[in-house]
Amino acid sequence: MLEPEVGQGALLSIRLQVNGEEREGEVEGRTTLADFLRDQLGLTGTHLGCEHGVCGACTVLLDSLPTRSCLVLAASADGCRVETVEGLARDGRLSRLQQAMWDSHSFQCGFCTPGFLIQAAALLAENPTPTEAEVRHALSGNLCRCTGYESIVRGVLAAAEGRELAGEGSK
Amino acid sequence: MRALVPAERYTGASVRRVEDERLLTGRGTYVADVRLPGMLHAAFCRSPLPHARIVAVHTESARLAPGVVAVFDGAQMAQMASPVASLIESSPSGGKVSFGILAVDKARLVGDPVALVVAESRALAEDACELIQVDYEELAPVVTVEQALDPNLPAIFEELGGNRLFGPETKVFGNVDGAFARADRVVRASIHQHRHQNVPMEGRAILASFDPSSGQLLVRASTQGVNTTRRMLAEQLRMPLDRLRVVAEDVGGSFGLKFGASREEVACCAASRALGRPVRWIEDRWENLTVSGQAREESFEVEAAVTAGGLILALRVQMVIDSGAYPGFAPLVVDTVREMMPGPYRLEALAFTSSGVVTNKASYVAYRGPWAAETFVRERMVDLVAQELGISAMEVRLRNLATRDEAPLRMVTGPSLAGITARDSLLRAAEMVDLASLQEHQRQLREEGRYLGVGFATYIEPAPGPRQEGGEENTERVRVELDREGSLLVHTAQMPHGQGHRTTLAQVAADEFGMRLGQVRVMVGDTQRTPEGFGTGGSRFAAMAGGAALHGARRLRGKVLEAAAQILDLAPAELDISHGELVGPGVPGGRLPLAELVRRIELAARSGQLPPGTDADLTATEDFDGGQSGWSGGTHCCVVEVDPDTGLVRILRYLVVEDCGDLINPAVVDGQIRGGVAQGVGAVLLERSAYDPQGQYLSATLMDYLLPTSLDIPHIEIEHLIPVRLDPDVNFRGVGEGGMIAAPPTICNAIADAISPFGAKVLEQHLPPARIVELIGAISA
Repeated sequence: MLEPEVGQGALLSIRLQVNGEEREGEVEGRTTLADFLRDQLGLTGTHLGCEHGVCGACTVLLDSLPTRSCLVLAASADGCRVETVEGLARDGRLSRLQQAMWDSHSFQCGFCTPGFLIQAAALLAENPTPTEAEVRHALSGNLCRCTGYESIVRGVLAAAEGRELAGEGSK
Repeated sequence: MRALVPAERYTGASVRRVEDERLLTGRGTYVADVRLPGMLHAAFCRSPLPHARIVAVHTESARLAPGVVAVFDGAQMAQMASPVASLIESSPSGGKVSFGILAVDKARLVGDPVALVVAESRALAEDACELIQVDYEELAPVVTVEQALDPNLPAIFEELGGNRLFGPETKVFGNVDGAFARADRVVRASIHQHRHQNVPMEGRAILASFDPSSGQLLVRASTQGVNTTRRMLAEQLRMPLDRLRVVAEDVGGSFGLKFGASREEVACCAASRALGRPVRWIEDRWENLTVSGQAREESFEVEAAVTAGGLILALRVQMVIDSGAYPGFAPLVVDTVREMMPGPYRLEALAFTSSGVVTNKASYVAYRGPWAAETFVRERMVDLVAQELGISAMEVRLRNLATRDEAPLRMVTGPSLAGITARDSLLRAAEMVDLASLQEHQRQLREEGRYLGVGFATYIEPAPGPRQEGGEENTERVRVELDREGSLLVHTAQMPHGQGHRTTLAQVAADEFGMRLGQVRVMVGDTQRTPEGFGTGGSRFAAMAGGAALHGARRLRGKVLEAAAQILDLAPAELDISHGELVGPGVPGGRLPLAELVRRIELAARSGQLPPGTDADLTATEDFDGGQSGWSGGTHCCVVEVDPDTGLVRILRYLVVEDCGDLINPAVVDGQIRGGVAQGVGAVLLERSAYDPQGQYLSATLMDYLLPTSLDIPHIEIEHLIPVRLDPDVNFRGVGEGGMIAAPPTICNAIADAISPFGAKVLEQHLPPARIVELIGAISA
């Protein structure tokens, strides 16, 4: 634990699976999942851009669903599966989505990046071959101030095309 | 039209960014990601009132709250850090204004920091802020320019004797009266640009860590330039520069906001010094939207002297800038707006009057293309002149745009127009949209009750602008160093916050030196090694830092080859550096790794084996002013359809024809352009920093201050013109600001064109649906 909770209220014990690992902690009732991930687990890849659920930078997968971790209390994530941006690359290899985003110059300052990656990963899990309109719709709850979105949309489409090709190749 | 990239050159290729692998895996390091042992957290108690006398600040309960380590009010902070002193030279009242790091005696805007709480966690610090009681005596708020000029309302700064900050000051270029006397007609308009703001995804942030034993203050900052931040902190904290080290790693966007050190950041440093423990402050979004700073609120009374044929002879412009509560950047903006007012046009005379006021709103800060009002006003005026004369806006632009290499060779305000491609860009944009058929299509649709509009805007942007006479201070320094591992280190004062400088500067240096890209590391953001220079801004990077890196790499390569020739007893001309190795027919084995070469040069130098005069110092420092590279610029074109019932605007097509010189990395350039255009789309269709008549801020969440999403920004087509290369070797130019400069007038011109059948006149920049239905008369204003 990087930073033990210092608070006034009673502490609650929670246990959850984060990026495939069992993790536990003690949190105040008011501690958000985002703060728990960042402060106690040191998973600072999840960013806080507004803390009121609009910008999407803090998006994580909570039991496979994209979720604003700034609006979820850590205590209510007890027993859940959480996936963060740190869990996307496996064994030091970028995921196809990350690779496609890199190739597409998708991002600039990088602050919104984790939320877009998680949101896009959730989209591709549900719809492996989205149209551009579907990608734009799926990402419309995530804010980026740098890029004008085109490069991000292209990156997701490139990842989807790669997946499709891989699927055909394996037949 | 993109120039071909010679084989095996990184410059000109869209190589992947070296920054991205970290950022894509969640391993970026923003200030909020850094934690230090014993670190404390800061939160500010802020004024809920726009204008009030502070009678008393009661902090006792807050001091006793759990986890609280210290509470500082304005008076205490005044003992810990100097007030900010601002001198406005053009002020009629002397213009000397000073204000505390925390508000003392008076709160001047909603969100003004009144006290600082430092506690063991941010939540506890925020809890304690709630316990601070402040006795305020409310004063009448000064919210608008009209109110600022009303002598019956209280002065925000008593020392100004009123709320006029500077001006009115008039400067005249050319024979204005003569031009107006010759004019067939005078076209008048009152044009307004609304208040909006940067909104980087990461707000302001600082982690100050004072070491009591050494007296050193280490600051991790989210900044556009570590040197500027250090200088301003040193000034406010009254510390010698060498006691302060400012480090910046990843910066989550800025767009002009994060320059120097804000009052909150100074306060955190002062608190760390007082407590001997690290103090971190991460601005939240409410603070960012309310009090970090806002921009662009400027109004203009414009008169254009025109001939019946559509020639614009002269302009008379009166500009008023609303500087918000704390003066700083606004006076600098008006100077650039004035100089850039003629843009790429053959204006023969200009009278420009500027003045500025203070109001109880957020302070004016730089925002991407801070002087953009010149393009907005001029490009809107061109369309208004066309409308009034009954000739096409395209015609008016073509009659007035300067032609390269024909008189006038200078703007009437002075700067040279050498090398501009503005006219080429306009012609190409018109060709790309097929303007004639588009206008025919527009006529047909109007018969069906559908309202299509097409708008253009043409601009030039100093990036960095024509070489200035005696402009010694306006250079960028780069230090290039070959290290013992054979890597080329490129040190720059540029501070990337999304622009990818770690990649693009490496591209330039790698090509010039003969390295693989992976063997070049761009070193930024640490005052212990960062060369002099104020940081990233003013589109300085490409031409100035790029040029300095190119020259530095060239000079260091010469030194290395010279020393290698001595060691190997060969002529330098027989040697080359390629793919990061010394190569040449005389080199034993044909090639020598640079790490080995560096070792041998060092050994030879130490043992006196190099002949006198051989320079074995494997570094080179170069200063560069951007050379003859001059202007970026271009033309944007937008096609919209406006729904007259809902006022909704659909962007059907957006294209950019631009010239930013030779491209270092086309994908990075396109990203800068698209990002800038997106901010322009937001500015026109969505974003406004809104205050109510009492001076309360209304846009303090991202549900109220609307940023464009992936559904609002269209595909943006980009074409790069082949540039006019005036410099012998550095023809890169800055590209960060142009998108945001040209997009607002382009979109407004398109909307104005679409709703012109309703007799609507567009004199403002913010055109959300409600305003559009007002303009077309469907609802009353």
